[in-house]
Amino acid sequence: MAKSFLADKDICIVAYGETKIERRGGRSAYEIAAEVAEQLYKKTRLGPSDIDGVTFTVPISECSNPFWSGYATEYLGISAKWLQTSDIGGASAIGNVARAAMAIKSGMCETAMILGVDAPSTQWRAYYGSYRNEFWDPVGVQGPPGAFGLLMNRYEHQYGIDFRGLGALAVAQRNGAIKNPNAYEKLRHKITIDDYINSRQVSSPLRLLDSVMWADGGNGLVMMKTSRAKKLGLTNRVYPLSYAEISNFDCANQTPDITTTGHSIVGPKVLRDAKMKAKDVDMFHPYDDFLFAVMLKTEQCGFAKKGQGSQFLRDTDLGPKGTLPINTGGGQISCGQPGLAGGGINLVEAVRQLMGEGKGRQVPDARNAMVTGIGVIPYGRNWGSANAMILVN
Amino acid sequence: MADTNVKPRPLPKPTPATQAFWDGAKKGKLMLQWDPTAKKYQFWPRANSVTTGKRNLEWKATSGKGELYSFTITHVPTPGFEARAPYVIGMIELDEGVRIIANLINIEIDEVQIGMRMKVAWEKLSDDITYFAFEPDTRAKSKPKN
Repeated sequence: MAKSFLADKDICIVAYGETKIERRGGRSAYEIAAEVAEQLYKKTRLGPSDIDGVTFTVPISECSNPFWSGYATEYLGISAKWLQTSDIGGASAIGNVARAAMAIKSGMCETAMILGVDAPSTQWRAYYGSYRNEFWDPVGVQGPPGAFGLLMNRYEHQYGIDFRGLGALAVAQRNGAIKNPNAYEKLRHKITIDDYINSRQVSSPLRLLDSVMWADGGNGLVMMKTSRAKKLGLTNRVYPLSYAEISNFDCANQTPDITTTGHSIVGPKVLRDAKMKAKDVDMFHPYDDFLFAVMLKTEQCGFAKKGQGSQFLRDTDLGPKGTLPINTGGGQISCGQPGLAGGGINLVEAVRQLMGEGKGRQVPDARNAMVTGIGVIPYGRNWGSANAMILVN
Repeated sequence: MADTNVKPRPLPKPTPATQAFWDGAKKGKLMLQWDPTAKKYQFWPRANSVTTGKRNLEWKATSGKGELYSFTITHVPTPGFEARAPYVIGMIELDEGVRIIANLINIEIDEVQIGMRMKVAWEKLSDDITYFAFEPDTRAKSKPKN
């Protein structure tokens, strides 16, 4: 088996930044990027002239601009040798960590900034093309909630769902958001499992409290070679150790079992490449557009048996001091989803924890984390892009 | 429509690759693309085979019959569907071996069951567009295979 290109820990993350999540805050993605970048400069004692590579997640609020990377780096005052905007949606955050590592290792750049910034609750500019106009919008499918309603109902038919398990996850993540000052303020109040069960149906069996809420915000990282970080005296380092990604899993199959996702491939692969088993994972930071996606990933990344995800969530302590801490900062469901920068919510929380800066929600002795991403809702399946990464400190 | 708040249901805009589908729909025929190399159907319509990459797909009229693979009840309507809410969206596995997402009509919400037999039905949206939906195939014996 080929060794993971990250196995030597020669590339590291030296800082994270994150804004508070707002709804219809009025700021553009550019203005949000400026705030994230300033946080990163302060932590690293670097400035715009030190950054020579930047990777972005395409923002919904600016995706009508085919030159987004160039405009955004010009705005920030960065002269770059390597630019890349990734469009694998919520998979872009860890996807961009892997891409930046490749760019640094290849010598295309030395110091990379990984930015996810978006303001879709202020301005929405997405247009999709492909099948959407003819075979989706005229059917009245309620977007991602509609697709997840279909997915959940099929899963329930095959395996059954204990909705109190999903409720337990909702409560655990909400408890994280209460302790996370960056979470959207209106979500920082307690909920109970019954609140989840009784929340209104959106696209049944999917409920309101199964779902994320669109919001504005941003997050970012700085990455460089470990040798350079040591020279610069950047001592709080987190290392990506393994990474895998797959888009359009099983896509030529016209009648797939939609309860199996790309995470059944990438989850086990990153564990193997990191020489770990699921039980060795200290904390899990799965991309959470819907609670059900987290549930399915507990099965496909090896924490729960197939068909037993909801029981696993019901019976496991998911809090920061529990047996499997999940999305300890609230995840996107309880922080708000800052558009396509949303994957950074899960990623940055993992990095924060591994740097020992989790404060009131710190996972004791956290040495590693599994982070996952999900991007794109395809026609009649589960999700388009699936990826996973193991991070260690 | 006197109520100006009511938005019309979105109308598909056919392209050269999909026109045959809509021409068939207008005549009450559910057309599918047949891949003569892979010897299978595929859906949704596009310019290429997803198996071979060739642009040699053929159009065939199909039975329009299949089995309900999954469904969801939409309580929060999308634009144009306000008057229908709550409405049922189904994923139907056609006997030809593809899945299609459509409105389920002529059925009570509490009667919808995964595995039930369904057949295509049509809703005229404009002079040019007749849109597919599915309804229970009452003459079929339901035999859930999944």
